[in-house]
Amino acid sequence: MRRRIDHARAVSPLAAAAGLATLAFVVIPLPFIVLSAISHGSYRLLGKGSPTLEWFRNFVTNDRFMAALGNSVSIALITTAVTLLIGLPTAVAVTRGTFPGRRLLLSLVSLPLLIPGVIVGTAALGFVAQTGIGPGYWPITVAMVCAALPLALRPIIANLSGLDQDQEKAARNLGASPLRGFCLVTLPQLAPGLLAGGIFAFIEAMDNFSIAAFLTDINTTTLPIEAYSYIRDIDDPTVAAMATLLIVMSVLIVMVLDRLLGLDKFLDLS
Amino acid sequence: MRRPTGLLLAFPAILVVILLAAVFASVVSVSLLQADPGGAVFHGPASLRNYTRLLGSADAWRSVSNTLRLSGIVTLICLVCGFPLARLLARASSARTRRMILFCLMATFFSGGVTRAYAWLIILGNRGLINQSLQALGLPSVALINNETGVVTAMLNFVLPFFVLTLFSALRTIPDTLESAARNLGASRARTFLHVTLPLSLPGVAASCFLCFALSLGAFLFPEMLGGGRVQVLATAIYDRIQTTYDVPSAAALAMLFLLLILCLLAVLGAARQVVTRRAT
Repeated sequence: MRRRIDHARAVSPLAAAAGLATLAFVVIPLPFIVLSAISHGSYRLLGKGSPTLEWFRNFVTNDRFMAALGNSVSIALITTAVTLLIGLPTAVAVTRGTFPGRRLLLSLVSLPLLIPGVIVGTAALGFVAQTGIGPGYWPITVAMVCAALPLALRPIIANLSGLDQDQEKAARNLGASPLRGFCLVTLPQLAPGLLAGGIFAFIEAMDNFSIAAFLTDINTTTLPIEAYSYIRDIDDPTVAAMATLLIVMSVLIVMVLDRLLGLDKFLDLS
Repeated sequence: MRRPTGLLLAFPAILVVILLAAVFASVVSVSLLQADPGGAVFHGPASLRNYTRLLGSADAWRSVSNTLRLSGIVTLICLVCGFPLARLLARASSARTRRMILFCLMATFFSGGVTRAYAWLIILGNRGLINQSLQALGLPSVALINNETGVVTAMLNFVLPFFVLTLFSALRTIPDTLESAARNLGASRARTFLHVTLPLSLPGVAASCFLCFALSLGAFLFPEMLGGGRVQVLATAIYDRIQTTYDVPSAAALAMLFLLLILCLLAVLGAARQVVTRRAT
């Protein structure tokens, strides 16, 4: 009988094969990017000759790419910090506050998640054009904070709702101030939510194309926008080299998440 | 928590909402103006001219139908291809298999949109991997980019991780003892799937399809990069107005119509999703 029960639990070989085929389709772009980055031409894929680092050298010596990289990384770091600084008190207010309209507030800040980036980007462009602010670095940063906030809020709220409030109450009863109670008891337990939220905010700001496309100008571009215009104008594997570096970053992030949180736990939060 | 403390903590978020409201009020007012040719200056008088022109334009309606059709196709294929993977993830007997799948999905997800769009150009392009292989075999080459094939492939690749992870978190809450019971009582694998697994998964399926459709509606990077200007969806139509003529008011009007369409569609689909969920529970 034991065998029959196991039999029923496992997925049939055919269904498993279908699942793995889908997984292969999802992952397939990554090896080809890496292969292209060390090949001698976009479409030669290690056809002739040994692997080359020419395109990586090209990427790091290209002034426009380096400026875009600097913009993207600094915008992503600012976005992550600001998003968490806004997200933490918002999550506390929404899950533990008693003021009317707190659910509405959460829906309203979540709007940029529901509305396509192109619409948000057009709206932002209309706003900076009408007010005379104009596109550029700071408008992109502010837009990234608005886009990243709902992404970061979800794991923080999920984390916070799962916590036992009695521990903080005990701290209060023992004489701790509300702030001290929160910082010493609740905040350390929110580390997983803040980590997950911070990573989502960082990735969103690094990778966003649809909003940033409307707010870049000749002097200020971000990495995805610069990569796209490079593909249109030149189309050699320099972009593949850039993408390979992003893949390395992505794999490192997932490894760190796996080590610190476990991927299952990370998914539970998001 | 006392009420004033809560409000104080919510203050930054309230500022964000005020900014969003100001931005959307501004874009609505811009959409009522006209652009001066070649400049970033708009002039009045306020009118609905941009809207009436768009509603009468065949191109605009074509991009509406393209957007809806492509999103529908992507959602459908996503369901067929994504379901087995989500199920494998939820029912995999070994923790290592599960961790490996999660690792692959998340590493792909975090590697970014441009990375994957570029990869598809390399694979599907006119001198790309597939066409080179065909040529080597002496077969005629096929056009896989600058058309809907390329756009759907890349969009599918982008939304599948979202779909699979959403469906996975729904599927794993279904106790596998129910399936075991059905099998032990003599039901075949197909029968168990149709009468036990499928009905129980419907709320999760509805939620994942909803997400998948919403993401596809707004997709911009993939139609732009793999469509090569020949696959016009609403997102690319809006961007084109700014790229080619810098006609911000007209782009703003189209964006507002797009927003209206999205809100109506998502309201209808959200209601449908709730009906499915209520039936199933």
